[in-house]
Amino acid sequence: MVYARTLGGTKYTFQVSGRLWRNSLIMVDRETETSWSQITGRAIDGPHRGAQLEKLAAVETTWEDWRTAHPETKVLKKSKEVLSSHYQSYFDDPEKLGLFRAQWLEERMPGKTLVYGASIGPHAVAVTEGALVDEVVEATLGDTPVVLARARDGGVRAFVARAEGEILELGRNPKTGEVRDAGGSIWDLGSGRCISGPRSGSHLESVAVTPVYWFAWSGFYPNTQVIDR
Amino acid sequence: MRSIIAAFGMAVLALIGMGHASSPVPEVVATIGGEQVYQLLPVGAIPAIDDPGFVSGAEAELQMRADEPVLGVVIDGEARAYSLWQLDAHEIVNDEISGSAIAATW
Repeated sequence: MVYARTLGGTKYTFQVSGRLWRNSLIMVDRETETSWSQITGRAIDGPHRGAQLEKLAAVETTWEDWRTAHPETKVLKKSKEVLSSHYQSYFDDPEKLGLFRAQWLEERMPGKTLVYGASIGPHAVAVTEGALVDEVVEATLGDTPVVLARARDGGVRAFVARAEGEILELGRNPKTGEVRDAGGSIWDLGSGRCISGPRSGSHLESVAVTPVYWFAWSGFYPNTQVIDR
Repeated sequence: MRSIIAAFGMAVLALIGMGHASSPVPEVVATIGGEQVYQLLPVGAIPAIDDPGFVSGAEAELQMRADEPVLGVVIDGEARAYSLWQLDAHEIVNDEISGSAIAATW
């Protein structure tokens, strides 16, 4: 997850609190020692309590897919060799659900199911890996039509499916992978830009996607919709 | 290959397996919204990166594996990737991209 670390024009620096809440990380800013949930970006305790950090569109993918789609990318420099994850055994074990069993464990799916979560205000959706294979997934968050899709760089992104006030019906051509609306415009769901057709030059508003285990997402959004296949 | 992408969306696990296995039982330090807050490690014990250094994609080939999971972000046309294996030990990078101050978190 990537957040803007400014609030009201002031810049904050985040560190790891060493604390967990709802089985997930609490971040703390050095300047005010406010506690922030890493999953939602909301201040849960301290001077900024109730404030919300802006969650930015970011993806999780492989180095290979990322560098192919973004050849100009910069990469965080390693000060020493790191060749694997410390936590592979955790990822591979379906029974290990965080450090403490989630108190709000939702039984709709196994806890370790990887979902792509998106939310607008209190409205949330969790989309499974299976539902995203070769498809554009449509969801409605409150009154807002949203689409989620996997882009060329391997990342899953979401956008508000609306241009110039009109709701877009987007579909992916299974052969070419092209995403097209009902009016024949073609959209790049990596950047949200219309790349050809009548809406050429238009831009969809981005909605941040959180790749997360189900047990964690449902802990924050117990009423979340689920789109599975 | 996608299945190797950990994407647990939280860094819970960095609190285990960091050589702190002998730490005392986690202490409940607060209750928020009816749920306990556990203190597992001192603040900053997992060090965030505050002055990140970057290499080009070509240079990064020397430090990355093809199937290595990354957190990727594009801001104003500028793309950045952070190795999730590297972030296991840091969890937060306080960064600036195209003049925007951001926190990349894992």
